[in-house]
Amino acid sequence: MTQDFEFLNRLGVINVAGLIKIAKVVKQRFSFSVSIILGILTACLAAPLLAPYDPYKIAAGLPFLGPSRAHLFGTDDLGRDLFSRVLYGGRITLLIAIAATVIALVLGTLWGVMAGIRRGWVDEFLMRTADSTMAIPQILFALVCISAVGASVISLPLVVGFLLSPTTARMARSAVVTELNEDYVVAATASGLTRNRLIMTEVMPNIAPQLLVQLSINAASAVMLEATLSFIGLGIQPPNASWGTLMLQGYAKIWNTSWFVFFPALAVTITILAFNSYGERIRVSLDSRKSSS
Amino acid sequence: MLARLGAATPVTPEALKALREAAGLNDPLFVQLFKWIINALQGNLGISYFSQFPVVDLVKARLPVTLELTFLIILFAAVISLVLAPLSIRKPGKLLDRLIGYFTSIGLSVPGFIIGIILILVFSLKYQWLPSRGYVPINEDFFGNLKLMILPSITGGLTATPYLIRYLRASMLEVKQSSFVRTAEGKGLSNSKILFKHILPNSLVPTLTMLGLIVGYTLSGVLVIEYMFGMPGIGSLAIESASTRDYAVIQGVAIAIISMFILTTFVFDILCAIIDPRLRVSKSARSN
Amino acid sequence: MKPADNKLNALSVRNLSVSVPARGGRVLAVDNISFDLPIGKKIGVVGESGSGKSLTALALMRLIKDPVQVDAGEIFMGGKDIMKLSAKEFLPYRGGEIAMIYQDPMSALNPIMRIGEQIIESIRVHSPMSKQAARKIAIDQLGSVGIPEPEKRIDSYPFEMSGGMLQRVVIAIALSGNAKVLIADEATTALDVSTQERVLTLIDKTATERGLSVLLITHDLGVAAQYADEILVMYAGRIVEHGQVQQVFSRSVHPYTRALLDSKCDYTLDVTKPIKSIAGQPPRPDNRPSGCVFAPRCDFAEPACSASIPLLSAHGDAMAACFRADELIFNQEVR
Repeated sequence: MTQDFEFLNRLGVINVAGLIKIAKVVKQRFSFSVSIILGILTACLAAPLLAPYDPYKIAAGLPFLGPSRAHLFGTDDLGRDLFSRVLYGGRITLLIAIAATVIALVLGTLWGVMAGIRRGWVDEFLMRTADSTMAIPQILFALVCISAVGASVISLPLVVGFLLSPTTARMARSAVVTELNEDYVVAATASGLTRNRLIMTEVMPNIAPQLLVQLSINAASAVMLEATLSFIGLGIQPPNASWGTLMLQGYAKIWNTSWFVFFPALAVTITILAFNSYGERIRVSLDSRKSSS
Repeated sequence: MLARLGAATPVTPEALKALREAAGLNDPLFVQLFKWIINALQGNLGISYFSQFPVVDLVKARLPVTLELTFLIILFAAVISLVLAPLSIRKPGKLLDRLIGYFTSIGLSVPGFIIGIILILVFSLKYQWLPSRGYVPINEDFFGNLKLMILPSITGGLTATPYLIRYLRASMLEVKQSSFVRTAEGKGLSNSKILFKHILPNSLVPTLTMLGLIVGYTLSGVLVIEYMFGMPGIGSLAIESASTRDYAVIQGVAIAIISMFILTTFVFDILCAIIDPRLRVSKSARSN
Repeated sequence: MKPADNKLNALSVRNLSVSVPARGGRVLAVDNISFDLPIGKKIGVVGESGSGKSLTALALMRLIKDPVQVDAGEIFMGGKDIMKLSAKEFLPYRGGEIAMIYQDPMSALNPIMRIGEQIIESIRVHSPMSKQAARKIAIDQLGSVGIPEPEKRIDSYPFEMSGGMLQRVVIAIALSGNAKVLIADEATTALDVSTQERVLTLIDKTATERGLSVLLITHDLGVAAQYADEILVMYAGRIVEHGQVQQVFSRSVHPYTRALLDSKCDYTLDVTKPIKSIAGQPPRPDNRPSGCVFAPRCDFAEPACSASIPLLSAHGDAMAACFRADELIFNQEVR
């Protein structure tokens, strides 16, 4: 196995030392927020196992019940068990959010790295586009896109991912530009490494920690955007329900019971907080590492 | 063009053909765009597919609501930030600063509409103090209008304020390190005088630029706020039109909102020039 | 050190120490210094960067802030130890009896406020009066520091003025509170040579006219020689020599002072003569040698020099901190 790694390392395809560096950063920040994220992730992914009821089953209990032993989160207007609905809803929300984050990461990194290595008018153009995209009010943009293509599990991640990519692009670009000014780049180029190889094996692992920060923060934004879009009816439609859709339904019935809207809202808030604080912690630890080295 | 992207709801082929003729959708793409721009510049934004009213009229009728809401939100955010940011600068790192820091961190993470829900739960449901839906024009009923605007404005304000506080605070901290602040201290001025007469004004210019972007972000939130508080503004118009795929209206609203945004940044630029005399002079005269 | 005598001295500093954070604790950047500033006199404080001169100035104005701290010391002005005053009680002194002018005039003023307002602000802090009355005084002040057409210039913004003019404004601000002690911290370093001359002459003239006592902090020996009555030589946070200007320049006692004077470039002499520089570098605050701070670089050092700290004491007409001072005076050639 290690022989394979060595081989690939020589080929310059992956840089093992770089990968180890990334793993170290990720591992170091194992904290409360991470456990929360993981907890929520596993709970939702394991929904079929954990959910006590079928989330689509109407009249599993009396409508508008508050939390109880039988129904941990209560029931909704049609008597469906909310705990199960929240668990399954989480699957959808998290799926979309993670997909969006990955899209944002890939698109944003390509965008930024391209601008960073080319410089000149390509750089200008790409960054101007990024700035303009960032300036447009997000919900408005999403609204326009979704009204054109419709809301689905495919379109939502694409739209949200696209919306989140400019910030990643900006960050990737400045990271690349900084790295390219470092001494080791000059050294590596002098020893005959071609530019693209250089990017892949040396530069990328070094900007990876910052990308991780961006990843976490984008995940938080993705959850927020998905929830908001579903809440205004432009996201996941009933009878499927993401957390946002559940909140929409709960909000409509808020005069009947406030528990309906409470639990999805709590889930969304905790998830966003966890992602944000994880991202912040990594960023803070990166900054302190930088200044002490 | 958007209509081409979207799949239309099932309609009889003949009716569809007629509609398309009327809407000019059979013309080549760039002709459509050209026609649209000309029309828009003349104030004709087309006719709503859904309601058959001219889009301009629809937008015009509902614009004041959005304008008032946006204005109140920015006012709220500005006032709160101008109070909290200096307070947290007085003793950086100490208790008050850290508390304010936590407040902004949490504020950044909670989606706006959830803040709205919480406010409604507390103030409308539990305590019955404030209404949670509706709108009354300000010239009809001043206090009624304000009463209805309080919750939506605070919701929007609480979404925008964390960004503003963070940025203002960072800006002020940076200005605090400047040489002229040391001169001001050397004059024997009290700390609050230095804070408000020297540090704050110099922190405002970069913050105003940021505020422009924050307004953009706020406009996004205004859409959701109008929707959930049942306010007849152009934001809720956009959302309604999105579900019915009324592209003419959507385009019209998008234009209106983006224009508002651009106008606001323009106003802020002028404010910047008022505050900082160096910005009033051309670059060549500035490098003295 | 003799106890402070406030009838003769505008300022008396006793055992002032200022510490900065360093790896493994705090370290003294200003190490137990004491001196007197006689009324109406000008003391030139000379030393390399890092010698602690600027920190001393800031300490005198009580502008030392976290993480730098004043560890100990008494500063007497008008009979009072200003270090013992509360922050509020001290406020009138700052900019009032004791005022400071700074190194870079281009950044020393609020860029978005008119210079007139900045002077008026200072005037009104120290003597409450109406804006109009303060404005008249401000115009006079601007005139007295040599700014042409003060009634027009008073409404200018800093970016509309040159470095020399701005420094004059800074001086005007410093003088607006009826100062008794003026601290000039490298006040002319950022200016070109001819402007330097003019600003220094201005300071000199104003000081004499108003009976000010001046602390002229500079790394430029020529400036110190020309404008000061006494010279204070600082090295690595300590005072190594203190005496009348004539004596310090012609019959200096401390090896550091002598080395400093020797290393001056004399343009009129033989160009083939190599420039004498002092070997080595000044120690960083966290790396100070035990005993005499200068010993590692001193031509005359002996093992005893590193054993204990020499105190500033009288040797002939000067004060110097050197164990071998008397010997060296005895052996010295006359310059």
